Amino acid sequence: MKARPLILCLIVSTLSCVSARAQAVIEGKVALPKAHSAPVVSKRYEIVSKGGVLATDPPTAVVYLEGSFPKGAAPATAKMAQKNLNFVTPLLPVQVGTKVEFPNEDDTYHNIFSYSPAKRFDLGRYRPEERPIPSQVFDTAGMVTLHCDIHEHMRGIILVLDTPHFVRSDTEGKYRLTGLPPGRYTLKAWVNSKTTLVREVDLKAGTTIRVDFP
Amino acid sequence: MNKIITLASLMFTAFAVTAPAEDWLERLNENLTVTALDGNVRLRLSGMLDLEAYHVDKPAPGLIYTDHDFLFNPRLTLFVDAQFGPHVYGFVQSRVDRGFDPSEMNARMRLDEYALRITPWDDGRFNLQIGKFATIVGNWTKRHDSWSNPFITAPGPYENLTGIWDSSGPGDADTLLYWAHVFSGESAASVYSDKYLRNPIIWGPSYSTGISISGQIGMFEYAAEMKNSALASRPKSWEIGEVDMDHPTFSGRLGLRPNQMWNVGVSLSAGPYLLDEAQQYLLPGQHAGDYREWVLAQDISFEWHHLQLWAEFFETRFEVPGLGHVDTFAYYLEAKYKFTPQLFGALRWNQQFFGNLRDDLGNRVRWGRDMWRVDMALGYRFTANTQMKLQYSFQQEDFALHSITNTIAAQFTLRF
Repeated sequence: MKARPLILCLIVSTLSCVSARAQAVIEGKVALPKAHSAPVVSKRYEIVSKGGVLATDPPTAVVYLEGSFPKGAAPATAKMAQKNLNFVTPLLPVQVGTKVEFPNEDDTYHNIFSYSPAKRFDLGRYRPEERPIPSQVFDTAGMVTLHCDIHEHMRGIILVLDTPHFVRSDTEGKYRLTGLPPGRYTLKAWVNSKTTLVREVDLKAGTTIRVDFP
Repeated sequence: MNKIITLASLMFTAFAVTAPAEDWLERLNENLTVTALDGNVRLRLSGMLDLEAYHVDKPAPGLIYTDHDFLFNPRLTLFVDAQFGPHVYGFVQSRVDRGFDPSEMNARMRLDEYALRITPWDDGRFNLQIGKFATIVGNWTKRHDSWSNPFITAPGPYENLTGIWDSSGPGDADTLLYWAHVFSGESAASVYSDKYLRNPIIWGPSYSTGISISGQIGMFEYAAEMKNSALASRPKSWEIGEVDMDHPTFSGRLGLRPNQMWNVGVSLSAGPYLLDEAQQYLLPGQHAGDYREWVLAQDISFEWHHLQLWAEFFETRFEVPGLGHVDTFAYYLEAKYKFTPQLFGALRWNQQFFGNLRDDLGNRVRWGRDMWRVDMALGYRFTANTQMKLQYSFQQEDFALHSITNTIAAQFTLRF
């Protein structure tokens, strides 16, 4: 009787290994644009201002596979925080239907809004300890540009994708997409609002292919 | 009225042109910042283009200078914000328009603000600022630009004119009463005739020249400034080349911010309101520096989610040698609410009361026209960089031939 769960476990493990081996991997590098200058915060009418300068995040890209994929589980909740008067991180790829939380980790108000056609919203002014954490569900694919009504320099982008297969590159442009089903697909690299690079790929089970976006 | 409709149509057309340019504007914004010395020096150029129009009953209210019933006032504002290392910040504001108060027929360029701010500590406990910049008194200056102000005009205390002139002192009570137009039945043209000479209790954002200190310690805020001209002084007096620091105005504000929602402050300001050129019209023994303006002000604001509330109260005294002093009390209550991400509405109640003085016959007479005004505005943000506002104001003044006046205004703003 005691041997039965062990056998079941072995069978599941074996099947998982076979399944993993059957999945494909794409890796490569995306040529990234030059980093922008760090923003200058307008303090003209702040009677009290604080010292220090803002850091700026280097650019990254989002690489994603387009095609017809079976519907999976509901996407996990994602987070786009505001810290040191910046979005952390300023580029967030999510799958359609994802709920994104916007926690305020500064000691001042933020008022995040977007007028992008893919999602129009305005969270109003909210404090760091605001509960529940202000959130939105992103149910239409497209690029959503985020602003703060109080801090004019703040910019963030949520890339809402109609695919479960996506990854954000590192700051050198390197990426690795794993767990991909075999088949012919379109691979895209989103670099900025004006540039999305496209490659057709033919994925075979258990193989790793390299695709660079110059 | 047709002019306003035509203008509103033009503004919508302007939006139609600018909406597709939104992405271009975003990229332009990214490219208007330049850096040097490994990022230790950073400058950002930004600006606003305003197209605004007024349809007014005569005489035009507040600081609107026109003897017509229609005024079109385009304005281009350019800002430079500069950060030199972590502790030094500077800014410049210049404008191309028909005058700070739109009384000029031709466009001209002005340097409205320039200042350098030193913040030695990162926590903001102390800031030192020198230059020409908005007053630290009250809470309106933080939101006075056309993008942040939910209305097109300023609150009543910042624009409602009194009988005080800065170019001359009244020799007797009747002169002051005459300047204040408190006699019934005066025509609109008569009231308008000396409008440029009259002063409010605080002239818009009061971009006068001087030095300030400010800071935050825990939940307390403090600010103090020494400027070259009084709060009531007109834009001409804000220039250090026009009015020097011989008779400075001192102002201070103490604030309490228990949390992000609430901000409460008390301000005090004192300084002479007469220009040096007025000295020649004064009686022997009187000095321009003796004509002082005293302002005690209280401000409060509350912000939570889509609601913002503000209120300010000003108790003002003008010292008038020979007459003693004259007092006025003005306040406003203002609310803004965002109905949708792009549509907002605002409502403001303004009121001003004037005290009494003894006229030349010994009778106690009110020295100004008590007034109340309600401002209503609707605003729509088409994009993150374009906005349209419509405002209707209904004002009632005592002693006026036409005691009720209406103002309709429209404003389109493009910021970059």
